Amino acid sequence: MGKTERSFKLLVASIVIFTGISMGAFHVQANGQAPSYNYSYWGDSISAPDAYKPTTLVNGEDLGIGPFIEPSDIHVTEDQMIYVVDSGNNRVVMLNHRFQLIDTVASFDNNGKKDQLSNPQGIFVTKEKQIFIADTGNNRIVQLDQNYQLVTIIEQPSSDLLKDDFVFQPLRVVVDNAGRVYTMAEGVFDGFMEFNVNGEFNTFIGANRVQVDPIELLWKRLSTQAQRSQMVMFIPTEFTNLDINEEGFIYATNGDNSSDKIKKLNARGTDILRREGYFDPIGDIRYPIDIGPSRLIDIDVSDSEMYSVLDSKRGRIFTYNNDGHLMYVFGGIGNRRGLFHTPVAIERVSEQFLVLDKALGEITVFKATNYGHMINQAVRSYYEGDEESAYHFFKEVIEMNANLEFAYAGIGKALLRQGDYKGAMENFKKSLDQKNYSKAFLLYRKEVLKDYFPTILTTILVAVIGLFVWRFYRKLIKRRKEITIE
Amino acid sequence: MNKEIMKFPFYLIVHPFNGYWDLKYEMNKRINLIISFLVIFLMVLTNILRTQYSGFLVNIYNPNHMNSFLEILYVIVPLLFWCIANWSLTTLMDGEGKFVEIFTSTCFALIPLILLNFPWIWISNLISMEETAFYYFTNSFALIWFLFLLFIGNMTVHQFTPLKSITIMILTVIAMGFMAFLCLLFFSLIQQIIAFISAIYQEIVIRY
Repeated sequence: MGKTERSFKLLVASIVIFTGISMGAFHVQANGQAPSYNYSYWGDSISAPDAYKPTTLVNGEDLGIGPFIEPSDIHVTEDQMIYVVDSGNNRVVMLNHRFQLIDTVASFDNNGKKDQLSNPQGIFVTKEKQIFIADTGNNRIVQLDQNYQLVTIIEQPSSDLLKDDFVFQPLRVVVDNAGRVYTMAEGVFDGFMEFNVNGEFNTFIGANRVQVDPIELLWKRLSTQAQRSQMVMFIPTEFTNLDINEEGFIYATNGDNSSDKIKKLNARGTDILRREGYFDPIGDIRYPIDIGPSRLIDIDVSDSEMYSVLDSKRGRIFTYNNDGHLMYVFGGIGNRRGLFHTPVAIERVSEQFLVLDKALGEITVFKATNYGHMINQAVRSYYEGDEESAYHFFKEVIEMNANLEFAYAGIGKALLRQGDYKGAMENFKKSLDQKNYSKAFLLYRKEVLKDYFPTILTTILVAVIGLFVWRFYRKLIKRRKEITIE
Repeated sequence: MNKEIMKFPFYLIVHPFNGYWDLKYEMNKRINLIISFLVIFLMVLTNILRTQYSGFLVNIYNPNHMNSFLEILYVIVPLLFWCIANWSLTTLMDGEGKFVEIFTSTCFALIPLILLNFPWIWISNLISMEETAFYYFTNSFALIWFLFLLFIGNMTVHQFTPLKSITIMILTVIAMGFMAFLCLLFFSLIQQIIAFISAIYQEIVIRY
């Protein structure tokens, strides 16, 4: 009802406001060189304080190992060891948390023979320091232990599920706690390939849905069999990247243009991402039509189910909390420090972000500002259920950015727990959270009614008695008058 | 007499057949018009207050987009469009109604929308999420009542059969669409002309 009314009003408004706006001059704020922004409930981009600031640049020359050539992936372990896949140099470079060189790996011992990496594209390192490298040029995944000794090699699998002419070209790889290997391979439309602990191909997981263009479908319906065979097939879009969190859920990005650009896959391959934010997590929600929506090419999930995605079109990094609220945006394409040329991979190291630039062959290190740190802390404490400290952190965040609407909901929840229902209502109203507002309101109403219940009931009782008395009195007077007339 | 006039709109909305008959044949045209304008005014007032003061659970509004003047137009423009379109069609299709009668009958049909929606502006502040169902129910009920009155009003004013008046109402809506389209076309053309003239003016001014 409300929606139809709104659209009706819009129609009338468009009839009414004929002047003033010339078409084509749509004001798109997100496209400007705004240093940082966030989207309001209404979909407007509103400038926000910087959450992350660039601090250092790391490149191969400074490390003394020659420039990185088209590096394509980075991975950071829990103890903050950084692994960079230097694809063009066919090697993996290891750095410590101060960005000092530890080691490089280009070859390993394969049954007594020296074996080389060839154009490796992806890397994953488990807690036990087992290194998995997607050795794309050699059509295999290589598993090395912490001393860079070969453990196993996952070669081209053979299975009924695969076509005969299938060539195994793994691009990205992740490993869950049970040792299952998930890989995103070139030209695979059925999802990720899952290998068991022994390196045998199990199944595909989490295929994207096929998106059908209605116009194209119409053409297909109208054309003959011969024509149809010449046409492009409807196939699901490929994934663009994946990451895995401690609980073993795979976070994946794909090139779709739908609301499920980002997916959180459970073991069965079902998408279970929470999309409770004001908008679906899809990167930019406002963009110029000629450039188009964000193309997400990397995802990094960190603690408290916060995840960040990298938009290759505009070089921006969007970070969402576990509910899907946009926390902050930073980065961009350009020549200044903190901007990129062709960013390909992001990784989070505690309060730092690493962004790998493929063309420039360098890593930009971002450090959280006070604002960014406060949001992170607030979201973390909120996720852990520590509403008391979440309240304080959110308060601090709002001090710095009063426009961050979802922060008010965090404050509201803490106030609700404390029993300050009216305060909770106000905060939920600010975050435009009707569900929680209603909860707080019900409690508040109960409280108010409890306070005034005796007064209200007494008033009603007095009024009713008064009415009866008044009627009786009038009747009495009438009767008397009639009597006197007679 | 005065009391009767006060009571008449309320009588009309619950007894539409008799009410509209009286509106067309019995009542004073001047008084009808005055009541109609009053109804429009109240309708505008209700709508403005509704967007501003309705409870948060039924009304999330962006204060930047709230515009009382536009709220006025949201009532008056569709109303006038309806009356003009209806009048244009019914004159061609043997309707007996005059423009004033169409206008007043339409305005009188708006009364339930005011009567039911106005109290809910305030009540909606006292309800929870689950209770908003009542709000939406009342809203829909008011809308249906309004449409019913519009239908009866049209039928009585033009002395149509029910089927014919339904046809006319549908045609009227289509005609409204045409009018909206023509208006847009007209104004966008005017805009082009103005832009053209101002461009020429600018060029002349800059050159000399």
